Amino acid sequence: MKKNSDFLYKNLEDKTIAWSESSNKYLILENTTALIFKKLNTGVSIIEIASELSKELSLPINKTTDFVTNLKQEINTLKTEKDASVLKKDTNINKPEKFEFIKYYKINELVFKVEFHSEFELYLVHPKFEHLEIEEINIHAHTFTIFCEADFIYFYIENNFIGAWNKNEIHFFQGKFSMELIQKIHQKEEKEWMGVFHASAVSNGKKAVLFLGDSGNGKSTSLALLQANGFTCLADDFVPIDIYNKEVYSFPASISIKKNSLDTLLPLYPELENSAEYHFKRLNKVVRYLKPNNLDFLSHLPCKDLVFIKYEKNSDLKFDKIAKIEAFKQLVPDSWLSPIKENSQIFLDWFASLNCYQITYSENKEMIATVAKIFNDEL
Amino acid sequence: MKKQIKNTQDVSRKDALKKIGNYGKYTTLTAIGTYLILNPQKAQATSPAGPGTGF
Repeated sequence: MKKNSDFLYKNLEDKTIAWSESSNKYLILENTTALIFKKLNTGVSIIEIASELSKELSLPINKTTDFVTNLKQEINTLKTEKDASVLKKDTNINKPEKFEFIKYYKINELVFKVEFHSEFELYLVHPKFEHLEIEEINIHAHTFTIFCEADFIYFYIENNFIGAWNKNEIHFFQGKFSMELIQKIHQKEEKEWMGVFHASAVSNGKKAVLFLGDSGNGKSTSLALLQANGFTCLADDFVPIDIYNKEVYSFPASISIKKNSLDTLLPLYPELENSAEYHFKRLNKVVRYLKPNNLDFLSHLPCKDLVFIKYEKNSDLKFDKIAKIEAFKQLVPDSWLSPIKENSQIFLDWFASLNCYQITYSENKEMIATVAKIFNDEL
Repeated sequence: MKKQIKNTQDVSRKDALKKIGNYGKYTTLTAIGTYLILNPQKAQATSPAGPGTGF
C-alpha cells in the first residue's frame, strides 16, 4: 500500500512549492530538487538518487551523495517539527467576580456581550469595535469574557476556556478574539477557513481585491481613500478566506488610521477630527479608528487579485504585474494558513490562479483610478 | 567619498570557466540546493500595532 505522503507539491512559474504537513511550512524549491524530494519521500534510496544525479550533472558521486543526504536531513527535520502552542492550559484559574466594563456589540442581528475585567482588557478590544456598541440588552447570543491573571490574558466564551496568552503576545489573543468573532458571525469552524491574511480587502459589490504591504506602507490609508471613492471596506488587517468558495469574508473591525495620514483623510472624514486618539508608546504610534462603510457584515466575495501597495512621497505612479513566486514569499510569513492538508492544497491552487500586482503612488487620484481598472478588468 | 569600482578587465565566459576550473561544475549543486523555507503564522494574529500593545 502506498504511504500517504507528508508533502504536497505545486508548480508555480519556474519553481516548485512543497508543503510539509508535519510542520505546516512551505518550501520554494528548484524543480530538479523537488523531484529529488519526491523520490526521497517515496522511499527511493539516497545512493540510487545520488548516482542518477551524478550521471546527469557529471559530478563525483561523493558530492551528489552529500547533497542528497543533506536534503534527506532537511525532510526529517520538517517531519519531526511540532508547533509550539501559544495556548496555556486552564490551570485552576478563578474567574473574577466583578467586571468593571460590560459592553454589548451588535453585528448584523447578532449581539455579543463582552465582559472586561478592567480598563486594560477593555483597550485590547473595544477601540476597534466601538462603532458596533449598543445599549445593554437582555437578549444576546454570545458572552465573551476577558481578564488578566499574573502575566496572562484569559479568554472564555460562554464560560468555556478558549486560551491564555502571555502579555507580550497580545496580537495572538486579539487574533483569536477576532477569529472567534468571525466564526460566530459566519457560523463556521476553524477548519472551514483557508487562512487569515494580514491585508486590507476592498470590494465593488461584486468582487474583492486584497491589498498587502509592510506596516507603514499606507495600506489602511489607501483603504480609507478607496472607501471614500465608491468602494466598500470588507476587512482591514484581518482578512478571512473560506475554504469552500474561496471567498473573502467581511470582518467588522474599524480601520486604524495613523497620525501622519490625518491630513490626507480629514477632508474626506471630518469625524476623525474629534475621534479618540490612542497612543501606543512602545510602538511610537498614535492611532484613531475609522468606521468601515460596509453595511452587511455577512457579505463575502470572490477575489482574484492581490495588490502590494506602497505610498511613496513624490513618486510617480508605478504599476506592474509581479512574479507570483515573489508575492508568495511575502504573503505566507504574514498569514495564518490552515494546517489541514486538503485546505493547504486548496490554498496552493487558489494562489496559483491569482493575479499579483504592485502599485507605488503619491497621487491619490492615480492610485484610485488604477484600482478601478483592476476591478473592471481593464488591464 | 563614494567608492568607485572600475572594471578594467573583460573576462569572457570561457576564461572565467577556465579560472574557476574544476569547481565550476559544483555551482549547479549550489543552485539547485538553494531553497527557501516559509513559516506561516502558527495562530491567527492581528497586526502587532493593534490596540493595547503599547500599554
